[in-house]
Amino acid sequence: MAMQDRCGIVPDSDSGPIIDAEQLSAVRLDGSAPGDSRPDGPGETLVQWVGFAEVQKRTLVGLQAELTHVAGVVETSTLELSTRFRELAESARTQSRRVEEIVGLAQSVVIDDEQVPLDEVVTSMQALITEMINNIVTLSKKAMSMVYLLDDVQEDAVALEASIADIDEINRQTNFLALNATIEAHRAGEAGRTFAVVANEVRHLSRSTSELADRMRGRVTAVVGGIRQGHDILRLIANTDMSPQMLAKERVDKTMESLVRQTNHFQSVLENAVASSDQISNNIGLMITGMQFQDLTKQQLEHVGDSLSVVAAGLDDLVVKTRSLLPPDLNPRFPKEWLDQLLERFTLGEVRQRFVRRMLLEGSALDDHGVLEVTVGAEADPAGDVELF
Amino acid sequence: MDHYTQIQNQETIVSVSGRLTFNDHASLRALIRELCDNETKRQIFELSGLEFVDSAGIGMLLIAREELANRSKELVLRGATGQVKRVFTVAQLGKLITIDD
Repeated sequence: MAMQDRCGIVPDSDSGPIIDAEQLSAVRLDGSAPGDSRPDGPGETLVQWVGFAEVQKRTLVGLQAELTHVAGVVETSTLELSTRFRELAESARTQSRRVEEIVGLAQSVVIDDEQVPLDEVVTSMQALITEMINNIVTLSKKAMSMVYLLDDVQEDAVALEASIADIDEINRQTNFLALNATIEAHRAGEAGRTFAVVANEVRHLSRSTSELADRMRGRVTAVVGGIRQGHDILRLIANTDMSPQMLAKERVDKTMESLVRQTNHFQSVLENAVASSDQISNNIGLMITGMQFQDLTKQQLEHVGDSLSVVAAGLDDLVVKTRSLLPPDLNPRFPKEWLDQLLERFTLGEVRQRFVRRMLLEGSALDDHGVLEVTVGAEADPAGDVELF
Repeated sequence: MDHYTQIQNQETIVSVSGRLTFNDHASLRALIRELCDNETKRQIFELSGLEFVDSAGIGMLLIAREELANRSKELVLRGATGQVKRVFTVAQLGKLITIDD
């Protein structure tokens, strides 16, 4: 009944004959007599056409509104997508910068607050170890020279001890000779008195030489003891094998090579990551540019909508003119089957409901109260899921 | 350390085997004196039988080179393998003594 209120038409199932024979005779254009029962005469066709045209006009207006709605949805979604893609592009750029920082740091290390390139670190470490090994070699050679030297000194010390023993022997003989000389001088009496003085002096000399020999022996013994002790310590030093420390260079070299190789690999991977991020950022930029063409789409939709309104207005004119030719109490038939076919095309429930509401309410008191502005389906579909089929 | 000396083609070849360590310093010194006094100019240490050398051994080889050089003689180290060759390499001994592989 609401459809009849709004459109001035009723479904053909709701009423009996739409026009009576008399009314029909007034509109027949083919000159056939009143009472002719042919259902598809020109008058009948006109009545049908008016019904169709009313609905089609409303359909066109509805489609135009739908187009405007779609253009709005596309614009809103595009703006939202653009914003998100811009954020994505910015994230990709930030990632690129961070990875570039890592690439810069990967090839160097901080030593005493100073950035030192890794290859320099490796070179200086290797130079340091080489110098250390050279020092070990030099020290080993010097230690062995020292050992040989002290071997010789020890031989000399033994010879020196033997020499002191020789002095003792000479002194013992000298003392013995002086004693004999003294005895012989006493036997000689007055004639040997002077000789006895000399012999006595020789004995004193011999005693002094003996004392000197004793002191020398004491000193030589101390020196030889010191040398032997030093020799023992030196032997301990020279006997400390440093070859494992020398061979540690092999391990250090391998470790350094591995470190450099690994760092180069990391750098290569990170550089690829930077290139990928840049590529992503550029692609997103192109996508954003592409989405800005939605404006063109909106304009095209508006053009189509404008065309539809022109068509609708033309149709409306024609309906008014046609109605003026028909009896005023004539009720055009409502094309229910056609409308059913049309609505079947609207596979999206939201679109179908919006369209039906518009057909029913547009121009009514409810429309004046803004009922058509309420989003249809919002309550039924709060999650905003799209009904695809 | 064991060693065996032979003279061939005006070269003295000393085949050294076992381990060359500080404990061999006396016998190596005697060997150096022997090499200094012989007639040949080129003294070759054949080291393929030497299993191990310590840092004192390296020092003694350098002393040998020096003593022989003072008498215008040349020392050549030949055929080192394993640990001996590795120590020669890290010590860069080739810069000081002729090494013949």
